[in-house]
Amino acid sequence: MSGRLTPLALSILAVAAWAISLGVLAARPEPFLVALPGLLVLATLARRAPVPRCVVAHRISGDRLFEGETATVTVTVSADSPVALVELLGPLPPGAQLGSGHHRALMTLRAGDVVEWSYELRFPRRGVHDLGTIAVRMRDRLGLRTWEHRYVDSITVRVYPRIVPLRSLPRPFHTQPSVGDYVASALGEGIEPGDIRQFAPGDRIKHVNWRASLRLGRLHVTQRHLERNADVVLMLDTLAEVGAPPGTTLDHSVRAAASLATAYLARKDRVGLITYGGVMSWVRPASGATQYERLADGLLRAEIVFTYVAKDLLRVPPRVLSPQALVVAITPLLDHRFAKAVLDLAARGFDLVVLVVSPVEVTRAALAGSPTDDLACRLWALERRAELAELRRHGLPVLEWRPPEPLEAALVGVRRRRVRLASAG
Amino acid sequence: MIRVLAAASAVALVALLRLTSRTEVVLWVGLMGLALAAVALAAGWRWAATAAAVLFLVGYTLALGLERGPVEPGVALSFGLALLLLLAAVDLTGRASGATVRGPVLGRTVARWTVLGAGSLLAGTLAMELATAAAGTLPAIASPLLAAAGGLGSVLVVAALFRRAG
Repeated sequence: MSGRLTPLALSILAVAAWAISLGVLAARPEPFLVALPGLLVLATLARRAPVPRCVVAHRISGDRLFEGETATVTVTVSADSPVALVELLGPLPPGAQLGSGHHRALMTLRAGDVVEWSYELRFPRRGVHDLGTIAVRMRDRLGLRTWEHRYVDSITVRVYPRIVPLRSLPRPFHTQPSVGDYVASALGEGIEPGDIRQFAPGDRIKHVNWRASLRLGRLHVTQRHLERNADVVLMLDTLAEVGAPPGTTLDHSVRAAASLATAYLARKDRVGLITYGGVMSWVRPASGATQYERLADGLLRAEIVFTYVAKDLLRVPPRVLSPQALVVAITPLLDHRFAKAVLDLAARGFDLVVLVVSPVEVTRAALAGSPTDDLACRLWALERRAELAELRRHGLPVLEWRPPEPLEAALVGVRRRRVRLASAG
Repeated sequence: MIRVLAAASAVALVALLRLTSRTEVVLWVGLMGLALAAVALAAGWRWAATAAAVLFLVGYTLALGLERGPVEPGVALSFGLALLLLLAAVDLTGRASGATVRGPVLGRTVARWTVLGAGSLLAGTLAMELATAAAGTLPAIASPLLAAAGGLGSVLVVAALFRRAG
């Protein structure tokens, strides 16, 4: 740790030099006397000051949060030697806000003193935030010399997108072999009653339909529909966004994707993720709580990366984007390349739902709200209505979500046939 | 509380200027210094505090030149101490603004500066006594040269200290 002079020492030097110069010019002894306290202070620099020693440690109340939640940062400083003045700069990552207290502290410590100081950070936006660095600046008695040091600890906070409970979900056309919540058209073990047929050797007694058997004079059994799960792939548009953080179209899209992922995973479906943008990444469909972690991690990293290149969905492995999967495309439809990719998927026969996050409302919320802005937004809304109508003409189910209205309100509009699914495995 | 200390230093400097000279020019210079000190305090700008200190110093030299009165070491030392206190208090204000302050930071700062004030008073008295004794033995023609050499010497010594410390 190397020491250096403070700006205060330079100020004192400047004033002392002025006093001496003015004393010589005015031929008066008083300015020399004015300079004397300053020169005495500066003379203390001749002494080799011992480097003050203190140990800094910090902890966070929680390392996994949802958007809008707060975490308390507690910093503990213990002094091995007296420290005349210690200035601490706690972590305040970009995107975080101070909830209460200050992330800077100023304290005087005696040898053996242990001081604790804490402050709250609020995280309005998703992301992985590094809270591992604390800058420490210690000063000597008169504030002329300073020693700086950085304490680095690997502390990160993961802020996950806010989740809203959803009841109305787009229903997949195709199911997978695993057990789930969808009633398949195929018959087998299940709860939903299906057909009635004559008893055959091997049938269980508990499946005998006694009423039908009595009426028809022969033993009949009730067959049941299989209950299967489905593959759902959430396709997130990361080509462009509008609005001000934490309310950009991408932020809303990510929240929608997180909510949909949670809802589908709760139905035992296998959920995957494709982020379609400058950088294309994906998460293979799977089910369970661990899969939510994988999807959430993928969503945390979702950001706009500009590119002129139109990415081809053929690059995505079939195991990620299987033809049997329901693809939920979440987009503000600001970049025509995403619309083109969606139409390409529809043409290849994918079961597809397009959830459009309206950029008009998001932009309107970020603007001051002048009559000109209002008029421009209305014209834009008209243009977008025409664009959505064009997509619907291609047979795509398009749902428009206008934040801050609830996502559920947009999903209720989905009118899909409840199909008894033919493929039970 | 730290701001109060800085404001008190600035007001004391104006009062000392007024005590040295009653002329309007000196008063105006003092008021300009006070305004600059207020800006430094409000914004926590060190450069403004340094500029205010230099302005006070210019006003004090102007007052001395206009009045041509007897040497008053007490007033001069108090002026120097008030200047230092102003600089240190503005510096501390800048550091403390928007920060959690724990422990007797202000109390210990004031205690340190009080000790420094007492030391300066002692050193000043000693310097004046030595200078008075030496003045009789020195030829009058060499005085300005000696003063300039002394000033240059002190600046060089301080520069050497800075080089060593920095």
